[in-house]
Amino acid sequence: MKKSLFILGIATLSACKPNLKVDAPNANGLDFSNYIAVGNSLTAGYTDGTLYRSGQINSYPNILASQFGVFGPIEFVQPLLPSETGFPAPKRVLGYSTDCTGATSLAPVFYTGIPDTAGSTINISAQGPFNNFGIPGIRTIDYLLPGYANLAASFGFPYAKRMFTSSVWRPLDELRLNNPTFFTLWLGSNDVLGYALSGGEEVSTMPIHPNNISDPTQARAAYDSVLYTLTRNGSKGVLLNLPDITTIPFFTTIPANGLTLDTATAAALNGAYAGTGMAFHTGANYFIIQDIAAPAGMRQLKKDELLLLSLPQDSLKCAGWGSMKPIPKSYVLDRDELTRITNFTTNFNTYIATKAVSMNLPLVDINNFLRTTQTGYKYNGVLYTTQFISGGAFALDGVHLTPRGNALVANQIITAINGFYKTTIPLIDIHTYPGIRFPL
Amino acid sequence: MKKHALFTTALLLLASMSYGAGFQVNVQGLRQIAMGGTGTGWMWDASSIFYNPGGLARLKNVQAYGSVQFLMINTQYVQTPTGGYSDRTKSQVFTPFNFYVGGRLKEEGKLALGLGIYTPFGSGLTWDDNWAGRYVIQSISMQTIFFQPTLSYKISDAISLGGGFVYATGNIKFKRAVPIQDNNGYDGYGELKGRANGVGLNLGLHIMPAPNVQIGINYRSQVNMTVRKGDANFVVPNALASSFPNTNFKAEVPLPQVFSVGIGFKPTPKLTLTADANWVGWKPYDTLFFDYENNTPALEDTKAPRNYKNTLALRVGANFKATNRFSVMGGLAYDPSPVADGFVSPDLPDADRWLVTGGFTVKATDKLTILAALEYGASKKRDAQYLPDNFNGKYQTKAFIPCIGVTYDFR
Repeated sequence: MKKSLFILGIATLSACKPNLKVDAPNANGLDFSNYIAVGNSLTAGYTDGTLYRSGQINSYPNILASQFGVFGPIEFVQPLLPSETGFPAPKRVLGYSTDCTGATSLAPVFYTGIPDTAGSTINISAQGPFNNFGIPGIRTIDYLLPGYANLAASFGFPYAKRMFTSSVWRPLDELRLNNPTFFTLWLGSNDVLGYALSGGEEVSTMPIHPNNISDPTQARAAYDSVLYTLTRNGSKGVLLNLPDITTIPFFTTIPANGLTLDTATAAALNGAYAGTGMAFHTGANYFIIQDIAAPAGMRQLKKDELLLLSLPQDSLKCAGWGSMKPIPKSYVLDRDELTRITNFTTNFNTYIATKAVSMNLPLVDINNFLRTTQTGYKYNGVLYTTQFISGGAFALDGVHLTPRGNALVANQIITAINGFYKTTIPLIDIHTYPGIRFPL
Repeated sequence: MKKHALFTTALLLLASMSYGAGFQVNVQGLRQIAMGGTGTGWMWDASSIFYNPGGLARLKNVQAYGSVQFLMINTQYVQTPTGGYSDRTKSQVFTPFNFYVGGRLKEEGKLALGLGIYTPFGSGLTWDDNWAGRYVIQSISMQTIFFQPTLSYKISDAISLGGGFVYATGNIKFKRAVPIQDNNGYDGYGELKGRANGVGLNLGLHIMPAPNVQIGINYRSQVNMTVRKGDANFVVPNALASSFPNTNFKAEVPLPQVFSVGIGFKPTPKLTLTADANWVGWKPYDTLFFDYENNTPALEDTKAPRNYKNTLALRVGANFKATNRFSVMGGLAYDPSPVADGFVSPDLPDADRWLVTGGFTVKATDKLTILAALEYGASKKRDAQYLPDNFNGKYQTKAFIPCIGVTYDFR
């Protein structure tokens, strides 16, 4: 009697608990055991203006690898740095900075703790080959460049030199050390980003200089070689296209018409610039920029032209940049420069889309996703936008992503894989990863 | 300039609020609970003050009635479309209660008076502080108490009328994480607390066309629960404290009007069968609006779409009087959800549900009766979205409600 009452009690209690069954994830024959991620800084986990260990740990390939782990343990080797401070530059953190007017505000500042970069320069190729083949700064065309590691280091990108087994090999030769069973390929952004970050300051005397937009023919050929290398053993994978970099916070945070004038100052500027065709009025005005082609060597910005986040704020506020004197053109993307950037991006994305079809691979339309995020992408109650800092997706450098931004990308990739390969890889709870961190 | 650039977009804080699973709690009388929630037609006892004030004049004497319900609700969430993440609400026990006193002033009189104190809306739920939906909701609770002085008049042997004025008071608590992390990775959070009150009516008509047939019609009006001066408190990193000032807020939540028709039939002296239909007017609950006294660019007033729809619940019950002192009851109900597809939020992950009920009464003495009832409810598994927050998942809620009560007849 007692026993049956006990059983009845247990049965009643368990009937009280909801019991939703979760289907087991299905890999549908895909083999993720040797997943290789090919890409640039976004793939490496570069964030807040530099590369550091937790940024690498929160890279989208590492996040993906942990999801792929539901199908069985996989080893995902990353070229992890020993420290958190940043290599080679210190990382940026949110802190308080006082500007030339004496006003203190919350802004990205360089990390000022004791640097802990011992060992960061040591070559660690013996730990490889690396599953995370993301190399900050690398362009598509660099894959066919012998001696890339040392050349990149001379331009301030010492990452390949840390990872590569050979100082004379091409990146493609290093990549060949991997035998992927699955891959993600997100390459091409740096073929145009270096140009944009320099304000369109090409170095025509040196074709290989990172400030130049890559030759599209060379870029396509290099992309083909990388893709051939990745698929040479029949590996499956995913292609990601290029985001429209002109929509990222680095280029959209400082408004073109951010020159706010009172009546007296507007009148004074109108007097000073009489005859140049420039006109000023009370309220918001377009900044004055350097333009060699303009009559006075300067002109006002046009509506859709962009200012770079690297533009020193103190020079704007206290040194008369943009009003008393023009903003140097290296901080400006003018209409011609923007057209060149857009053309390269559009054409290369068309090529990637063509390759996805011909190679029978899914395409992750990151460009479209970024466009969606511009107007706001809501996820589990949080609105992600392309706004600097408050948007939550972009890191403190305005170019790269926060760990949550990386997780958003990883979910886009998983969605594409699930759709194309008929798998059921679980999506990531983005909010288990860190966002922007604010001082206490 | 940077400072202004920081928070030009609102963080859409506290965009939604509701009361938790089982928003409307139909547990105002134990015989009625045990009989599938029917009670508009057949008059049993002083709980008629709630179910149909028109029937109070049928009570032969003044009765005092008290009961308490132990409401145990569990909800499970599974992430969609892929699964891989799952969570459950923390186990909690809520104790809605009922107290009624009333009946005819004189045994052969026509006028009956009564007072009901009961809790028709309430409950709540608590998710893990760190769960996937924490920026939508961490915990919510609502308690309401309705006070209803009631008058009932027997027009003829067949017809009686009744009505009560309702004063409702209660409190609401709501907590959720704010997506701003400090240097140690801890989220901020916001907590809303407020006292709410409102007024309404409860009207009824009771007809007894034959000694073994009873018919009832009941209308309970909408009660707008108004929070006039709630407290909103925010904990965020110091750097942003000025963007999230602690402030007062105003809000209004409509508790729906309910129109019920019920019938009871006694085919044999021992058996009573009952059936009810409740039309519940949820439609006015289309948007939840929070009006903060102090607004900042980061803390704007919020309007959360709810888009509730009206529902029709159907209930049947049976009472078997086994002996003069002992009766057993059973019932069944289908209670559809007012929450439309696309608006199923984890603060009220509602779904159509079936209820199975049972109970018994023991007449301990001539004056004293002990009542016991048990309700078991399981919602359908609902694959749902809350579009305003893009929060998707599959939910199921189960409720287990043991109840105990007592009636005492003054005669």
